[in-house]
Amino acid sequence: MSGGPVVIGWWQLALAAGFTVVTGGLSVALGLGVARQLAVATARTFAQLLALGLVLGWVFALDDAWIVLGILVLMTAAAALIIRRRAPEAPKGTMRASFVAMLAVGMFITFTVTGLVVGVEPWYLPRYVIPIAGMVLGNAMNGIALALERTFADLDARSDEILTLCALGATPWEAARGSVRSAMRAGMIPGINTLSAAGIVFIPGMMAGQLLAGADPLVAAPYQIVVMVMVATADVCGSALAVMLAYRGRFTSDGVFLEKGLRTDAR
Amino acid sequence: MLLKAEGLRVSLPAEGGPHEVLSGASLTLDTGEVVDVGGPSGAGKTTLLRAIARLLPGVEGDLALDGRDARDVAPHEWRAAVALLPQAPAMLPGSVADNLRAPWALRVRAGAEPPSDQALAEALGRVGLDAVALGRDACRLSLGQRARVAMVRVLLSGPRVLLLDEPDANLDDDSAAQVEAMTLAFADAGGGVVRVRHHRRGQGATRRYRLAGGALTPEVAP
Repeated sequence: MSGGPVVIGWWQLALAAGFTVVTGGLSVALGLGVARQLAVATARTFAQLLALGLVLGWVFALDDAWIVLGILVLMTAAAALIIRRRAPEAPKGTMRASFVAMLAVGMFITFTVTGLVVGVEPWYLPRYVIPIAGMVLGNAMNGIALALERTFADLDARSDEILTLCALGATPWEAARGSVRSAMRAGMIPGINTLSAAGIVFIPGMMAGQLLAGADPLVAAPYQIVVMVMVATADVCGSALAVMLAYRGRFTSDGVFLEKGLRTDAR
Repeated sequence: MLLKAEGLRVSLPAEGGPHEVLSGASLTLDTGEVVDVGGPSGAGKTTLLRAIARLLPGVEGDLALDGRDARDVAPHEWRAAVALLPQAPAMLPGSVADNLRAPWALRVRAGAEPPSDQALAEALGRVGLDAVALGRDACRLSLGQRARVAMVRVLLSGPRVLLLDEPDANLDDDSAAQVEAMTLAFADAGGGVVRVRHHRRGQGATRRYRLAGGALTPEVAP
C-alpha cells in the first residue's frame, strides 16, 4: 500500500468505539461514575466530527469565497464566546477585543500562509484555508484566554500599586503595563516550549495526520514547520493584541482603575 | 484660592445597591494651609480624598485648582498636581532609588530632570531614613520605612496639593514628627495639604473639618 489514505468504514469506526466500551467498563467496575459522561462525550465526538466532514464536503464543493469568509467569521465568533466563558472576571468589552484580535491576526496569518507560503489558487481555496484558519484560531484562542485571565488577575493583585501609580499621574497604560507585559511573557512560554519539543517529544498533529494520509515525510515536515511557526505567531500576536485592546476596560474613560470594590457588577 | 471642592457626591457599589458616601461635601484650601479632616470611622474620609484626586468613578460636583476647572485638565495631569498619598502606598518593584524616581518615568513629567542621587539621599535624611541605602530593594523595607519613602516620593514629584490619608498611621512618634515637619514645610513653600488623621489629630493644622453624614462642616480653629 502506498499513496492515498486508508479509508475507514463504518465497521472500523464501530471497532474504534469499542475502546470507549472498555473505558466505560473500567469506570463502572471501579465506581468512577463517569460512564454516562464518557458515553455522551464519545457520541458528541462522532456527531460533531462527522457533521464537520459533511459541512466541509459541502463547502469544498460550493467553492465560494463569500461562504469561506463567512465560515471564518463564524469560527472567530465561536472562539470569542469560548474566551468569554473562560475569563468570567474580565470586564465588559473583552469579548469584542478578543474577537477583533482573532479576526485581525487570524485572517492575516491564514492568508499570508495560504497565499504566500503555500500559494493556493484561488486564494480562498477552502481545502487549505479552513483547516489552516482552524489551527490559527484555535491556538490564538488558547493564548488569548490565558493572557486575558492573567492580565486581569494580575491587575487585581496589583491594585494598591496601580492606585499609587495613578495617584502620581500615571496614565492607564503606564499603570497597567507591568501586568500586560508579564501576562504576555507568560503567554509566550507554552508556544516556545512547543517549538523546542516538536519532533523530539511528539509528532505534531498535522504532520501525524499527513503521514497517516500517505504523504512523504519530507513533504509533511516543511508543512509542519510552517504550521508550528504560524500557530506560535498567532498565539503571541493574538494575545498581545487582545490584551492591548482589553486592559483599558478595567479603567474608566477618566483613567480610574476599577478595583474590586468599585465595580458595579461581578465583572 | 488653591483648591476648591464643591458639592462632591459619590456613590459606591454596595450589597443591595449603590451607597451614597458623600452627599454634597465642600471644602476650600488656600496656599500654605494644612487642613485636617476628621470624623467617625467609615464616614468616607478616604473616599473624599480619592474624589478630590479624581481617583473614583462617577464623582459629581465641582473641583478647581488655582481657579481652573477640573474638567479643563486631563485626569492624569490633575492627579500629578493634586497628589494623593494612599493609606497603603505601594512600593514598586526595584530599589529605593527606582521608587523615588518612578514619577519621572511617567509621561506627565516627560522632559523634566529626575533628582540626583544626592538629592534623593538628602530627602531621605529629612525623614530619618539616612540609614536606608538608595540601592536597597524597596520591598524589604519595613512598613514605617515604606510610608516615609512614599511620602518623599510624592513630595519630590512636585505637586501643588498633597492629599494625605493617615500619613502617620504606621509611624513611631519621632518618624511622625519628621513627616509632620515635611508636611508643614511643603505648605510653607506654597503648597496646600488636606490630611485625614485618626491619631494625633489636629496638631499643626491651620483648619479642621469634620466629615459626617456625607458632608463636611468646619470645626472651630484649634
